[in-house]
Amino acid sequence: MTENAIVYATERLWAGQLGHAFIILSFVAAILSCLSFYLASKDQGYLKLARMAFNIHGFAVFGIAGTLFYMLFNHFFEYQYVWQHSNTSMNMKYIMSCFWEGQEGSFLLWTFWNVVLGWILNRQLKNKEWEIPVMTIIALVQVFLASMILGVYIFDYKLGSNPFLLMKEHPDYSHLPFVLKAKYESTARGLNPLLMNYWMTIHPPTLFLGFASTLIPFAFAIAALWNKKFTAWQSLALPWAYFGVLVLGVGILMGGAWAYEALSFGGFWAWDPVENSSLVPWLVLVAAAHTMIINKNKGGSLFTTHLLAIGSFLLVLYSTFLTRSGVLGNASVHAFTDLGMTGQLVVYVLTFMFITVALLIHNELFKVTYVVLSLMMMLAAGVYDYSKILLLIWLGASFVITIVSYLLYFPKQKEEEALFSREFWMFLGSLVLILSSLIITYFTSIPVINKLFNTEYAPPKVPVYNQWVIPFAILMMFLMAAAQFLKYKKTNAKQFLKRMLWPMLMALVFSLVCCIPLYFINQNNTAFSNWDLVSFALLFFTALYAVLANADYWLLILKGKISKGGASIAHIGFALVLLGALISTSKKVTLSKNTAQRKVSGLGSDFDDSRSILLTQGDTLPMGNYFVTYTGKRKEGIDVYFKVDYFLENAAKKKEFVFSLEPRVQDNPRMGRAPEPDTKHYLNRDVYTHVTYADLSVDTIKKDLKAFGTAKNFIGHVGDTIFASNAIVVIDSLRTNISQWEYEKNDSLLEVTAVLKCVDVKANVYRAYPKFVIKKSVVIPLEAVVEELGLKLVFWKINPVEGNIEITMSERLSNQRDFIVMEAYVFPYINVLWLGCLIMAFGSFIAIRERMRILKLKS
Amino acid sequence: MKKVHIIGIIIIAVAIGVIFVSLKNTSTYADFTEAIENPDREYHVVGKLDKNQPQVYEPQVNPDLFTFNMIDNKGVEKQVVLHKSKPQDFEKSEQIVLIGKMQGDAFHANDILMKCPSKYNDAKPQVN
Repeated sequence: MTENAIVYATERLWAGQLGHAFIILSFVAAILSCLSFYLASKDQGYLKLARMAFNIHGFAVFGIAGTLFYMLFNHFFEYQYVWQHSNTSMNMKYIMSCFWEGQEGSFLLWTFWNVVLGWILNRQLKNKEWEIPVMTIIALVQVFLASMILGVYIFDYKLGSNPFLLMKEHPDYSHLPFVLKAKYESTARGLNPLLMNYWMTIHPPTLFLGFASTLIPFAFAIAALWNKKFTAWQSLALPWAYFGVLVLGVGILMGGAWAYEALSFGGFWAWDPVENSSLVPWLVLVAAAHTMIINKNKGGSLFTTHLLAIGSFLLVLYSTFLTRSGVLGNASVHAFTDLGMTGQLVVYVLTFMFITVALLIHNELFKVTYVVLSLMMMLAAGVYDYSKILLLIWLGASFVITIVSYLLYFPKQKEEEALFSREFWMFLGSLVLILSSLIITYFTSIPVINKLFNTEYAPPKVPVYNQWVIPFAILMMFLMAAAQFLKYKKTNAKQFLKRMLWPMLMALVFSLVCCIPLYFINQNNTAFSNWDLVSFALLFFTALYAVLANADYWLLILKGKISKGGASIAHIGFALVLLGALISTSKKVTLSKNTAQRKVSGLGSDFDDSRSILLTQGDTLPMGNYFVTYTGKRKEGIDVYFKVDYFLENAAKKKEFVFSLEPRVQDNPRMGRAPEPDTKHYLNRDVYTHVTYADLSVDTIKKDLKAFGTAKNFIGHVGDTIFASNAIVVIDSLRTNISQWEYEKNDSLLEVTAVLKCVDVKANVYRAYPKFVIKKSVVIPLEAVVEELGLKLVFWKINPVEGNIEITMSERLSNQRDFIVMEAYVFPYINVLWLGCLIMAFGSFIAIRERMRILKLKS
Repeated sequence: MKKVHIIGIIIIAVAIGVIFVSLKNTSTYADFTEAIENPDREYHVVGKLDKNQPQVYEPQVNPDLFTFNMIDNKGVEKQVVLHKSKPQDFEKSEQIVLIGKMQGDAFHANDILMKCPSKYNDAKPQVN
């Protein structure tokens, strides 16, 4: 007891208490703010209270974040979150990443951005008619988000997970011996070394700002359903939708850049559920932004606009559920671990779906029935065990009600859009975006479908995604290229066709010149079918067409004015992203072709087993058009770097040094050994390498290199091969001095000689004659040493029953040179992708500025 | 009929098509027994490494070939030929998911996913 009392006296309990007080305050203030904003819709007297409560909520959220940062900076390791996500040995420049490594911190980051955006929006909305409903929704979302870090028990149910728990309070750790002895600092787990990367400092805040910005179009759309004012909000929400497209898009690609740099799956995009579930809200948000423009200019697509604006936020929630509930299980490589908040996340997603559907219904009796039935179903699901069936019934019913209320209550356009009108083509583009996001969502949700229907489908692999998404990308690119040349309402078809002919012809000629050699002549990659190749060529053409057509439109029709060209520039950027992704992925070259000639035939192209190369220290091997030498390894902290030099042969057949790469293997205490790639960047290609197998031990003690290493036993027949590190040893034949009969008669001596043929890498042949001798029933094997190769061979056993012999082989230690197994790829023109990303961000930024300017002019 | 209706029909057709085609071709989680019955279909097989059987990886011979034995969740043991280099920390894996098909006596996998126990907290495995 006394020991405990002393130890615990050093605990800085005030920090946790302060932090938790801020959490409770933020939660209560969010509830108060939500309620009073709601009441303000009936009596504006509540408005002051509502705004104040929201400010208090925001202040409390800043307080939580500030306290947590303070604790991380000052190493309060008695707290579980600090203990788990940081330690004293790490570089403090990555301390930001510790903040959002855990689930609680990333929820906090999201809440934080919602507060910031909520404040900006509140200042912007001078009109109370919009402020009240929009802020009610934002405050309601904040109630849910704040509950995620509440960590309060309601009966037996734990609501949220509190980041301010002491180690000794945490159920997973409180019983462990080092916690009982309060040895926190020396045991602190620290940040996952894979996240110690500058991308991880900026990718999560950008992504979460993107997630947060989907809240605003959502809040406006819900407010519009609530007020039944369907048309006034689009111009207010449009800059925010663009902002979300910009920030979320950049955030997603930053994640790709991190994966390309720090993970070793060999690329920037793997269709991992975590990636997909942030891509889908982005696609839907892009579609929403486009239908909002249609709606503003022409008045159509009203219902679609609402559905998309709401959908992108609901999909962000769904993505949160997918990545944080543990439902993905084996399907993802980097989902969060389950914190037991699955139920809460499901309730969160369903609540906002429920609100949407309930607001769609205009008839009071119908609405009340829906609300009551939904609540009853929820109660029944909680009490009885039919939650899956009830959930499916509810989802189905809600879907039907959505369609019915659209037909019954929603204002519809009288006239049909003309075939050659910009709004119709933009609408088609949005549909293509919706359809591709539905397909990606469906594939990503396969683990959820398995849970719902008790099926056992495995998640689809990368080629399946590519095959399904590319046709939509082709359509999207085509629409993106052509739609700008159409006018709203109606365009003269002839003029339109004439106008769009030139960029199309240029793109066609250029892509024929490129694609025929790229995909139809020099294609030796058997992983692609003819259909794949045709779709690659089509995407190449349409993406190029989209670049040229948008450039044409911007330069000739908009006269190159930057302020007007936001859309065109963003479109060029997006087309370049797809073009770069297409070329770098479809023309990815495996440099490290396996030198072994043991091809697996008959197993199909899935079993392409030539991706790795074995490099022995000091040897120079050809690899693609390079010659490579593995020169050695060094250890730095937990990383072991393997240095590989690259040479090119010049005209005089001499090898010239070009560059060195140092792929490393991290002995990561959190997740075991993780290879990290190293890449040589050229303007037109990247050479990307990572080590897949290596000995990480770096010896400093000098060994007697003349000594023989441990012997390896080999069982076989005449004709078999034994593999040494520098040669192959073939059992050529066996010779006996005497016959069996003589042996039995003499009872003295049997001598069997194995004739071994040793062939080294330069095809020099050496022979060795180890002998198996039995003298008066005692076995005396006579070893043979091949000095040139440093091999010792001992023929020590004959198994007459099995009909085979046993030979051991040992090698001089000087033979056993270090080696690595490496994969190396060339990604051609991957810089087009990153350039496209920058251009897209720039174009979106211009578009936001222009929309803000128009908004100011109006008011 | 309005254009929007035609588009709607096309969308529904595509959606049904996707579900149908993809479910027909998709690989499923299974055990070795099922994979043996359908030798040409691709399966995801979940199991554990049999640490008593030899693991053969001879990168000098072929850096993309690794053989070991796995026991699936039903207790059936099969030899596995992995057409990839030996994964790092393979011995420490507590659960393996193989992606591949049965060919002859061995299960040929072209990909592998492993679950490794975390060093500090055995109760919560972390996905590698």
